Amino acid sequence: MVVIFGTLGYRPKSLIPTIRSTPNVDKVVFYYGIDPADKEASSKVPEARKSVVDYCKNMKIAVDPVELPDVYDFKNIAMRIRNDIRKHKRDGKEIAVFNIAGGTKPTSSAALLACILEGIPTVYVHDRTYEEIHLPLLRMEYNEVLSKEEQEILRTLLKNRTKELTEVELASLVNKHKATVNHHIKNLIAKGAVRLEKHNQDARKKIVKIEESAELLLGDDL
Amino acid sequence: MRILISTFREGDLEKLTLAMRRLPYDKLVILGTELDTGSASLSTVKKLEEMAGHEVEVDELDEEDFLTLVDEVSAVLSKYSLDPKTNSRNSITLNISGGSKLLGDASLFAAFRMGIETYHCENRVTKLPVIRGVTARDRFTPMQLDLIAAIGRGQVIYEDLVRLMEPASKQSTDRLIRELKKQGILGSEFRSSRIFVFLSDTGREVLNAIRLGETANS
Repeated sequence: MVVIFGTLGYRPKSLIPTIRSTPNVDKVVFYYGIDPADKEASSKVPEARKSVVDYCKNMKIAVDPVELPDVYDFKNIAMRIRNDIRKHKRDGKEIAVFNIAGGTKPTSSAALLACILEGIPTVYVHDRTYEEIHLPLLRMEYNEVLSKEEQEILRTLLKNRTKELTEVELASLVNKHKATVNHHIKNLIAKGAVRLEKHNQDARKKIVKIEESAELLLGDDL
Repeated sequence: MRILISTFREGDLEKLTLAMRRLPYDKLVILGTELDTGSASLSTVKKLEEMAGHEVEVDELDEEDFLTLVDEVSAVLSKYSLDPKTNSRNSITLNISGGSKLLGDASLFAAFRMGIETYHCENRVTKLPVIRGVTARDRFTPMQLDLIAAIGRGQVIYEDLVRLMEPASKQSTDRLIRELKKQGILGSEFRSSRIFVFLSDTGREVLNAIRLGETANS
């Protein structure tokens, strides 16, 4: 099954050209949402949604419009899109392309991020000419840029994110010597994946905190 | 020096001040297309920075097309990566919440290309999963990078490529070509009794990362 993903704002013309130009499309999944602060959005976004749904129905293509509760919540949009992409991949569906041209800026950027992390072919449609621009994205393979030990530490920190773990406690959880863990923590700090914070009760101790971005980075690998 | 580079356009003052409050910096660089240098928002930012004893640098970009914009943002990131006075490396943070959608997306693309720490500041601050210092070039072995650089932007005749890769053996070069073709980095074509090898769009993106890495490290 060939699936197209897309983001949608006011203009159905930003998405429909991709459906037309992609061969053998069986399903279209698109993300849209209404910004309550934008007066025009309450009428224009549903109109655009209806146009895309009508087009797909006429072309006998299955369509799944996904309403986003908050079109400015970058992190949750990225997580939602990434999880949906992974679900389709797990079900053996081929994602032909992701059109990131429509929707709010955070929606479009979150979709771009999900495509970089998942290695999905990405297309942008020019605002005025409606020309499709294919983006030469190179998938970020975190398996290649983070060592197994670094990944293990990140996953352990993510699982225990409500706890205040010192390096010694972390070393015990991953069953490694504290000097080894210290070395990996230094590398992870340099890569911007973790940070050290003062312990609440004991100022001499430092706790290891995972950066919020690591959640996006690791996705639902946990 | 810590440099905050932020995408911006008129009306983005709230997003920019959120980034200024939350992300520590010594110098602010505004990045935008069709920037009105006399606009109220930009004047306010300049005033705020003056009060702190700093100047704002403004880099205006041409919003021609997406990939040109990616190259322009990459060039700005590269320009600020080294301090020309001390020759030491600057710590760069990028905020992509301001400016047009095209600029925001192009900036995110450039951040991944160059391994720049990136945030999205709008209502709340979201740190994006760009691993600091990790670029597309880190995905390849030194020999694979040599081969990509040897091909460059044009087409190379296979026999010439084997010679360019010496002292590596023909077998090693063949293996590298096979690996990179499998990854979609290279393409080849049989024409006029010769095999021509060239980079795909993705391969050219890796070449950009190699060249930007060389500029930043020089």
